[in-house]
Amino acid sequence: MARLLTGLGALLLLGSAVWPAGSAGAQPKPAEPKPSSQDCLACHADKDLKRGAPKPGRRDSLFADEGELKASAHAGLECAACHRTATAPHDSPLPPVQCAGCHDKVRVELGGGVHVSARGQAGAPACASCHGTHDVRRAATMTIEACASCHGKQVQVYRASVHGRSRQRGDSEAATCRSCHGSAHGVLAKSDPRSSTYHLNLPRTCAQCHADPELAKRYNIPIANVYQLYMDSIHGRAVTKSGLLVAANCSDCHGSHDIRPHTDPGSRVFPANVPKTCGACHAGVLAQYAESVHGKAAAKGVSMAPVCTDCHSAHQIRRVEGAPWQLDVIRECGSCHEESLRTYRDTFHGKVTALGMARVAKCADCHGAHTVRALSDPASSVSEANLVATCAKCHPGATARFAEFQPHADHSNKARYPILYYSYLLMTTLLVGTFAFFGLHTLLWLPRSLVERLRRGRAPGGEGPEP
Amino acid sequence: MTQGRYYFRFNLYHRILHGMVMVSFLGLAVTGLPLKYAQTGWGLGLSQALGGPFTAGYLHRFFAIITFTYFALHLGYIARLVLLRRPGIFWGPDSMVPQPRDLLQIFQHMRYFLGWGPRPRFGRWAYWEKFDYWAVFWGISIIGASGLLLWFPTFFARVLPGWIFNVAIIVHSDEALLAVGFIFTIHFFNGHLRPEKFPMDPVIFTGRVEEEEFRRDHPVEYERLRAEGRLESRRADPPPLWLRNFSLVVGLSALAIGLVLICLIVTTALK
Repeated sequence: MARLLTGLGALLLLGSAVWPAGSAGAQPKPAEPKPSSQDCLACHADKDLKRGAPKPGRRDSLFADEGELKASAHAGLECAACHRTATAPHDSPLPPVQCAGCHDKVRVELGGGVHVSARGQAGAPACASCHGTHDVRRAATMTIEACASCHGKQVQVYRASVHGRSRQRGDSEAATCRSCHGSAHGVLAKSDPRSSTYHLNLPRTCAQCHADPELAKRYNIPIANVYQLYMDSIHGRAVTKSGLLVAANCSDCHGSHDIRPHTDPGSRVFPANVPKTCGACHAGVLAQYAESVHGKAAAKGVSMAPVCTDCHSAHQIRRVEGAPWQLDVIRECGSCHEESLRTYRDTFHGKVTALGMARVAKCADCHGAHTVRALSDPASSVSEANLVATCAKCHPGATARFAEFQPHADHSNKARYPILYYSYLLMTTLLVGTFAFFGLHTLLWLPRSLVERLRRGRAPGGEGPEP
Repeated sequence: MTQGRYYFRFNLYHRILHGMVMVSFLGLAVTGLPLKYAQTGWGLGLSQALGGPFTAGYLHRFFAIITFTYFALHLGYIARLVLLRRPGIFWGPDSMVPQPRDLLQIFQHMRYFLGWGPRPRFGRWAYWEKFDYWAVFWGISIIGASGLLLWFPTFFARVLPGWIFNVAIIVHSDEALLAVGFIFTIHFFNGHLRPEKFPMDPVIFTGRVEEEEFRRDHPVEYERLRAEGRLESRRADPPPLWLRNFSLVVGLSALAIGLVLICLIVTTALK
């Protein structure tokens, strides 16, 4: 200990020898009291105070606004609380403030986050980039402006989105940056499997709000159980069960910062835009669909023309190889083609599928699914040229005569199907005639037979007068 | 009841064939109706209970084969009678062929229903029994032919035009409805459910009819047999207990199945 003190004394003596008396430190440094804020402001209140030499990434002005500080979260702090090494006056520039000196917990939060790992790169955010320097704001009062200072483009897109607009209307429930990306300090890159916006994690992130049917009710969102539906869908299972990065998650269809309601023509899920949105992954199907009667009509802006979601649904998309979907989609076709569905249900094909067997012909087996074309189109699978081959898919040995079968015949249409009309009429007449005669016969016989039985007694073979 | 004298009305061949008719008809109805009524809840439920439309279709074709078999057996029976030069097959008091007498008896019977005249004296086959016979004969031809068309469409389409299958669908379905409706209401009433026979007439199972009932229901045949001295050759022992019990179980089961089906059909039709 004694030796240490001697050493220190020697050092101080050396110091006094090097630095002329009356300059910066009249007293030895460690003994020097911290300068008060007034000491600092003696120089830094000067608005024109500038850095000696410009430093990249830092502002040139060395002006410190006292008013700003007094209004900030740090109002109660002296300058030296942050600028710990400061002396008044000082010649050499001060080292950057280490916020972690007080906010040690934040340093842990930041650890591994994208905002920290990017440090050292040009334009990487420091604490002050978001929180300000002397005008330090409380986290609770910070807005997306803080994010916008770097992520301007994303914030601009967000402002036009359904979430952004909802916020602007003063709705505190609508998602903002932090709702999806998590706390600013721990924010992770989208490519990081721990990130809330990582492809496989995003559905759960959206579900924080959109799994709540009450929220859907409050905001008139038509599908209340969207998360549950999605999780049971082919996309949801592929993402959550198989971990497929190529399977659609929420943002693949809805967008991320640019989410808009499906009624907005600018939305990715606006009906007219749906084929393009789905086609981003299902390019082959999109190409077929674009050539189909549905696709052409949709491209012309016919609002009745079905797009992908009209048949496949939006969130309940199922495997098309399974019987349940194949049978259910028949009803979907029938929601527009009512007459065809009605006549189909009169045939063996339609009845067997109604009973749950998918092996017989369904709409798409004859007409094609994405390739469906008008009857008048020679390329149609049900055109005159292709019909026999289409029937032969299930009925090997089908002939042109076989293909004369009317799979959508309507026996009530006398003009188009006279033979069927009269066949039906004949059968009905026979049915009604038989039942009318024997119905009457039975009605008359019943009381007579009753009388007969009562007269004869209970036993059929019992005594009784001969008739 | 067992003390009285009994006479044979149906021989074993008749009874076995009627047994085949019963089993196959109920089988065809149970496996076919779910398809006709595919849009109803009971149609779907019955189809699922049968193991789905594929299995039901298989069973339907199995019962169709039984139907074609008994149809062939019956035609063979008639052919045998013809070859044996048995008289009165196609005309006469024992023939199934409708004759002017039958038309007359329809009117007489209706008059009797209203209490305006005596009960007509029926021969071996009353007109409604002839109607039952010909209804089955006609039904098998029509339903069987249209059924075969629908079973082997590509085969028949080599010679027949495609619209024939559209007609076949209508005819098969509607004629089947007629058959099912007729058997489960009119035949059941005429043969079994009318108060004189209620709850069932076991003659088609036992083959035997009690003398009193024979004289009352078929007086012309009875008297003719007695006059010709052939009555004794038709004498039968009383039906044994097991046969009477068998008749009751099978007959009432068939009646129950039929009545349930007709109730479902009627309920659907009224909706």
